[in-house]
Amino acid sequence: MTDQSNGKTEGMPPLARLLSGIDKPRNVARLFYLLLAVCVALGLADFFYSKHGYFAVEEFPAIYGLFGFVVYAAVIFLAKGLRLIIKRPENYYEPFAIDTEDERAAGSAPEATGGKPNA
Amino acid sequence: MPEIGTPALVYMVAALIVPFVRPATLRQILLLAVPVLGLLTFWQLPYGTYGTFNLMNMHIGLMRLDALSYVFGLIFSLAAFLALLYAWHVRDTVQQVATLLYAGAGLGAVFAADLVTLFVFWEGTAIASVFLIWARRTEGAYATGMRYLIVQVGSGVILLAGIVLFYRETGSIAFSKMGLESPATWAIFLAFGIKCAFPLLHNWLQDAYPAATITGTVTLSAFTTKLAVYALARGYPGTELLIYIGATMTLFPVFFAAVENNLRRVLAYSLNNQLGFMVVGVGIGTPLALNGTVAHAFCHILYKALLFMSVGAVMYRTGTSKASELGGLYKSMPLTMIFCVVGAMSISAFPLFSGFISKSLILSASADTGHFFVWLALVVASVGVLEHSGIKIPYFTFFAHDAGHRVKEAPFHMLLAMGITAALCIGLGVFPSLLYGILPYAVDYTPYTVTHVVTQLQLLLFAGLAFAVLIRTGLYPAEIRSVNLDFDWTYRRLLPAALSGVAYLVQGTWRFASRIVMGRVDSLIAGVYRAHGPQGPLARTWPTGSMVLWIAVLLGMTLVLAYI
Repeated sequence: MTDQSNGKTEGMPPLARLLSGIDKPRNVARLFYLLLAVCVALGLADFFYSKHGYFAVEEFPAIYGLFGFVVYAAVIFLAKGLRLIIKRPENYYEPFAIDTEDERAAGSAPEATGGKPNA
Repeated sequence: MPEIGTPALVYMVAALIVPFVRPATLRQILLLAVPVLGLLTFWQLPYGTYGTFNLMNMHIGLMRLDALSYVFGLIFSLAAFLALLYAWHVRDTVQQVATLLYAGAGLGAVFAADLVTLFVFWEGTAIASVFLIWARRTEGAYATGMRYLIVQVGSGVILLAGIVLFYRETGSIAFSKMGLESPATWAIFLAFGIKCAFPLLHNWLQDAYPAATITGTVTLSAFTTKLAVYALARGYPGTELLIYIGATMTLFPVFFAAVENNLRRVLAYSLNNQLGFMVVGVGIGTPLALNGTVAHAFCHILYKALLFMSVGAVMYRTGTSKASELGGLYKSMPLTMIFCVVGAMSISAFPLFSGFISKSLILSASADTGHFFVWLALVVASVGVLEHSGIKIPYFTFFAHDAGHRVKEAPFHMLLAMGITAALCIGLGVFPSLLYGILPYAVDYTPYTVTHVVTQLQLLLFAGLAFAVLIRTGLYPAEIRSVNLDFDWTYRRLLPAALSGVAYLVQGTWRFASRIVMGRVDSLIAGVYRAHGPQGPLARTWPTGSMVLWIAVLLGMTLVLAYI
């Protein structure tokens, strides 16, 4: 599994070599279907034990899973909407903020000057 | 260990000695010894109040050791040790001294038995900690530090006002349960609320923490806000208002964190959200809820420090902490990645990780007391935590698109600090009784039930599935270089703009008014000059005869008037 992409793994730490290729599209798809399968199994698991919830709504099968899915998507879409209102250029608060200092120090924003953060 | 009053003293003395210790390694060893020595001063002491004396008829107690302060003393000592270990490479005396004084002040405040001691250390944390921001030594950090200092010292001043009123009212300065009953206790509540980053009072946190040095942020994340949580738990347990404040705190940072690009700021929002859980626990105020608050503070300090450490290590190697500039780092920093994932799973409350055994106490307490909507808000917020801290931080740093950084793994001392912290996160998750045993109240609670494990896994993994779907469909918001406005816009932009508007108006009015007045005065002076000046009619020399004539006329008129 480590010999893909003609020797690109050279110089990687051994641990990273074990993981290399995890971001190849085929492996990402595999991980996705694995996650899907685990979720389905977890959802079905609700039928096989007696649930002890605090509220009646918790008794609904796989309610936690469905709730998690919907809330996650809702959070993302609301946040995208919020971004439309609150997004500003990165140097909005300059020079009284640190927002672009690292980039200025690294030279990736050459239009301005600044110091390197003291580690 | 001799009884010395307060462990803060160890830190203060060490802060005086450290600048004069020259060999760097010796200095680091001394620094690491300080939290250990500090811990030994109270580790084995029986509960009680130490270092008591009378000062102007007020009873001062430097160290109150009880079940509540003991846990916070323990975790603060641990956090100081881990932060100093993580900062082993730092050769900056300012940061070393500031870290010692800050941690010492935090411990001193937690052990304070009276409000005056609390105030002194409360301000101590503010003043010491700002140097961790200024130590970045840039213009932006200076300005940010100033904003931070104004807010923190402001909190201290309000606390002092509250204490003075409280003393006038009750004749006592004892720091115990107060409740919201008078202007005095409201002022103290507000002071605690500022440090605890209540909604609308929160922006100092997101502003300042990303501006500190890499190691400074790790230190900052542990003390200030948890000191405020402790103070609330001591002074205001069972205050209903806190339930709603806390629930709001858990929710709103979720959205800001989701669109924030600077990962250290994402973690600051996440910190704010976690504080919300603790504040809800204080508000509910039952033994289970207060145990939950204390347990959550304990676990939170560890996993939040771990997350800040891992992002800090990435920043140390790559020079940036922005999601848009990072990605693919698992290839270069796999150990840091693993520690980051442990932190992420802990904060997301996966079973067998520390967040699971502490957050569930608060959720159970809110359900037990019938707060359905609060409970629901906390469940929603738990999904939000997974979003910004559980997935976003590790995914955009170590996976996502490869940004091309080929750097070395984090230095050994950073890996060691992260490794110990990660081990503690898992250890507490696997053996919850270790933590439950030292909580303030004896409560029988079993986190690992089938229902709890399955429902929690459902919640988290289905949310993870939603993430995967959104990423695969391209609907997940891209990481872009930007800043996002928050409430701090009001005092960084709106207020200055309003003030300069007012200044412009005042200036204009003044100019207009002074032009009118000056014009009048000028014409008056010109008129007087015309009459009395060297060429004026009143300055002319008249013949003596005409004066005699006029005197005769005046005399005549006087006579006429006298006889009428």
